[in-house]
Amino acid sequence: MTDTTHGMTLACRGVSFSYEEARAPIPALRDVGFELGAGRSLALLGASGSGKSTLLQVVKGLDAPEAGEVLLDGSGSADAGYAELRRQVGLVFQTPELQLFAASAREDVAFGPRRLGWPEADVSAAVDEALELVGLPPEQFGGRHPYALSGGEQRRLALAGVLAMRPRLLLLDEPFVSLDPATRRELSRILSRLRAGGVTLVLATHDVDLAWALCDELLVLDAGRVAAAGPWDVGEAGRELLAASRLREPFLVELWRRLGRDPATAPRTTAAAAEALR
Amino acid sequence: MRPAVAQYYPGDSVVHRLDARAKFVAVSALAIALFLRDSFAGLAVFAAAGVVAYVLSGVPAAWFWRAFRPLLWLVGLTFLAQVLFAPGEPFFSFWIFHFSWAGLQFAAFLSLRLVVLVLIGSVLTLTTPPLALTDGLAWLGRPLRRLRVPTDELALMVTIALRFIPTLLVELDQIMRAQRARGADFGSGGPIKRARALVPVLTPLFVLSFRRADELALAMEARCYRPGIVRTRLHPLEAGAADAVLLILTAAVIVAGMLV
Repeated sequence: MTDTTHGMTLACRGVSFSYEEARAPIPALRDVGFELGAGRSLALLGASGSGKSTLLQVVKGLDAPEAGEVLLDGSGSADAGYAELRRQVGLVFQTPELQLFAASAREDVAFGPRRLGWPEADVSAAVDEALELVGLPPEQFGGRHPYALSGGEQRRLALAGVLAMRPRLLLLDEPFVSLDPATRRELSRILSRLRAGGVTLVLATHDVDLAWALCDELLVLDAGRVAAAGPWDVGEAGRELLAASRLREPFLVELWRRLGRDPATAPRTTAAAAEALR
Repeated sequence: MRPAVAQYYPGDSVVHRLDARAKFVAVSALAIALFLRDSFAGLAVFAAAGVVAYVLSGVPAAWFWRAFRPLLWLVGLTFLAQVLFAPGEPFFSFWIFHFSWAGLQFAAFLSLRLVVLVLIGSVLTLTTPPLALTDGLAWLGRPLRRLRVPTDELALMVTIALRFIPTLLVELDQIMRAQRARGADFGSGGPIKRARALVPVLTPLFVLSFRRADELALAMEARCYRPGIVRTRLHPLEAGAADAVLLILTAAVIVAGMLV
């Protein structure tokens, strides 16, 4: 079984991709390059249509880049063992609950691990672990029909379906969309637990506050090009950059700036902010 | 995306601008004439008309060819079936198959007729948006309303079905990608294994479709849709001089095709 305690490193070099259309191909990614260390977490920001989802699908290998390459743990697609590395990349689609299909929660989560060819005992253990991790205890939820769960429970079940495959790099496409506040908090707790567990995370989102709380670095895409990459720039330039992508700066950064404090020292969570302001 | 059989190609050519009703009548008349006439010369006249219409439409050959390619199987099968089993004086026999010049000629004729039919029909569907086509059909079917055939409702059903085909294709693609990301394999194994591999795709697709149908029905009711009420149109169909020219030209082609 794969080692889940160490995240995978990810690097993109000059990645380009276009969608074929009737008249002319539509470029979605142009010369995208960045690096992400093992166990680091990256916020993938950008306006709708800037190429976030495409980038995630190219990294997972569902689409082959036209130019450039995706390096996983330093290996490219020509290297031996790349297929295995690619299997260790988990991708949670936007509104993944729409892809649930099995007759019980357990069966749905077991789909991925079974495709990996694990022995049934390992599959069962991975399913239990994943259901537990997303807060759907297997003894209570395992036998439930996926469509009989609430929207938030379905979202977490779909996440469990990917986590059960023990990804070392987890890609999430807008995981917080259309969730109620309680489920958002729950999901963000799950993600920070994964992050603490050493999994490398890429989080495509419009929610800068959650990105600020969860991510070490950011990558801003603008019309398929990298507009910014690296650690958060909490200064004026960073703020303008986010505004150009129809985003705002994180609430806690703004608060620190308005309080006359150095935004670079802005805390990541409200709890930490309260502690600092007490 | 690969065009489905003779999928609409947006454009602004002379052929595109013609009224859907005129185009439909012209194509139907040509198709009937095509099947009434059984000489190569007549076929050539209809084929020429089809080629002229196609060239005027400005649809790229690659688009047409990709849409037409799947139909080659049908053409090939027609040819084979005719050539192998047609009666006539055989010049070559093998087991139960007899090849005759008459059979060969007949098979060639039938396959060519099919090709010409597809060409003419494609010009219609390539240059007419599906919505205009169903609107046109509903208009042409109006006399049937006297017989209490709900033509407008049928047209609306067809319109909605057509409208959701691209949406469903996008959703199908998304679901297949998501299940592939979870290790699903749709391309290998025998037919039973492949059919089983589709369960994780078709289940969510059906659930989504039912949910969408339900929401659409509610939304239509909320916007006061009631069957049996004659609605006015935002874009009424308008036939002009060009359409009259089309119908006259079609009549001329049919007469020429029948007489040569």
